[in-house]
Amino acid sequence: MADPYKPRAPIAPWDRRELPGLFDVEESARRIGNYTWAEMKLFEALGGWVATVPELDVKMRLGTHCYKHAWHAELWHKRLPELREMNPDRLTEPANDAMVQFVEAMTEPEAPELTIEKLVGVYRVFIPHFVAAYTFHKNNTSQITDAPTIRSLQFILQDEHDDWREGEMLLQSLIETPEEVDRATAHQARLQKLMLQAGGIAGPGSIGMNPTTSASATAGATNRNGGH
Amino acid sequence: MRTYFPVEELARDERFSKVNMRERMADPRTLAGDSATTTRKSRGNNNRLVPSRRDATDAARALMHGIFVGEIQALEGAGRTCHDFAVSNVPGTGPSGADSDPTTGNTVPFALKLDMARQAWDEARHVEISVKLSDWMGTEIGQFAENTVLFEAACSTDPVLRLAGVNRALEGLAIDVFTTMKDFGDLAGDPYLEFCEDWMLADEVTHVKMGSDWLRKVTENDPDRRKKALDFQNVVDKLFSYGGTRSDSEESPIGLARRFRELAGFSDAEVADIAAVSLAALDERKSSVAKMRDQAVTEMADQLGTA
Ligand SMILES: [Fe+2]
Ligand SMILES: [Fe+2]
Repeated sequence: MADPYKPRAPIAPWDRRELPGLFDVEESARRIGNYTWAEMKLFEALGGWVATVPELDVKMRLGTHCYKHAWHAELWHKRLPELREMNPDRLTEPANDAMVQFVEAMTEPEAPELTIEKLVGVYRVFIPHFVAAYTFHKNNTSQITDAPTIRSLQFILQDEHDDWREGEMLLQSLIETPEEVDRATAHQARLQKLMLQAGGIAGPGSIGMNPTTSASATAGATNRNGGH
Repeated sequence: MRTYFPVEELARDERFSKVNMRERMADPRTLAGDSATTTRKSRGNNNRLVPSRRDATDAARALMHGIFVGEIQALEGAGRTCHDFAVSNVPGTGPSGADSDPTTGNTVPFALKLDMARQAWDEARHVEISVKLSDWMGTEIGQFAENTVLFEAACSTDPVLRLAGVNRALEGLAIDVFTTMKDFGDLAGDPYLEFCEDWMLADEVTHVKMGSDWLRKVTENDPDRRKKALDFQNVVDKLFSYGGTRSDSEESPIGLARRFRELAGFSDAEVADIAAVSLAALDERKSSVAKMRDQAVTEMADQLGTA
């Protein structure tokens, strides 16, 4: 056995995690507050829609997915006080007014004949934007200082991918005619435009393409270069 | 999407048909239907749902279908409670961005919503389990009518009333039903049925406990609201004791699962109350059946006399 008192490298040679990250504590909390709000809106909508869809298999999936997004909201709500936001409800807010409009438009369909529209809003617009924002966050936050957020992001992304796939398969099984393809794409386009205005789940810069985060990105890159 | 969803509009595919409570109970294939009363005589006073009952197959299938549609409504009800109320302390989370329900001022704690979402997932699994179990028992979807009274209890504009009516009264009943079905599976040598009921029973105890805990917490400083909720719970309990279907007596098809109810947060006094209400309902049914029988005997005698 190796000598237990022999000095060893504190960071193992196979551990390639980096210290610098794109977000400071305040920016992390802001984004996570937006995630909390958006996940809340999503689980409330899924729960509300259960009674409105006649398709039994869809009903059951909406109920199942409702819980998953509630759990995501809970994880984020619990993370906020760890990011110096002692009143997590204060930061639980939409990224901007356009995001509120997006959610209103997404939750508008109620009639039992509109299952396609309901699923398109969630699985072809909202959830893909969650996947994008979360992936950007996971890949750009500090792998060491922000490990708790990364751990949650990994669990949550797994759920988002699973739900995305299930929702997409339900849609493919429900869309049977060219007219229904048109219905789905028209609704998607309408919602996509509202989401474009919102800039993503955490507003402009949700996936890094805005002036504020570009500036931080440069700082991050500088840190990264000089980090080790 | 509207804030409160009317029971008449619950979305179903074409296999389902909805009826009210009275029509449902009059179906002779159900537990407390005519077959239950006519066969009671041949079994002495024992009417408990056990495999040796002459109508056991039909009665168990009917009960299973009732459980199945009940699970769908429980799923829908929990989902609606996730949707219909704003979260206390978080501005703009109410319906249409309001801070609270504009008509009632009601809000719910965030953690209560999370519990309801968890319940939605559990009920979705129960629907899955019930579909598979019904298939196993040889029942088709829609073979029996659907009574939508469970969802009606989930339509109150006060979330506390929903918890009292659905989580405590109806899910309390589910504890009794699943215990009886689990025993039925055991006696019938059907480990598949027993296994499924055992798991669903565990979830229902959790749901009833959620109801008990939230009712206590939310109405901590509001005794009037608590009383209103408990009164509503009693009304629902009484409604579901209709016909004496569930009681401590062996004359009821379904027993009262006292131990599991205690685990779920019912006090001894509350269990005693439900037991009393259930027995009273059973007596009521027995006396009305006796009255009907006397009436029939008189009518027949009259007819024979005039023949
Ligand atoms: Fe259930
Ligand atoms: Fe339940």
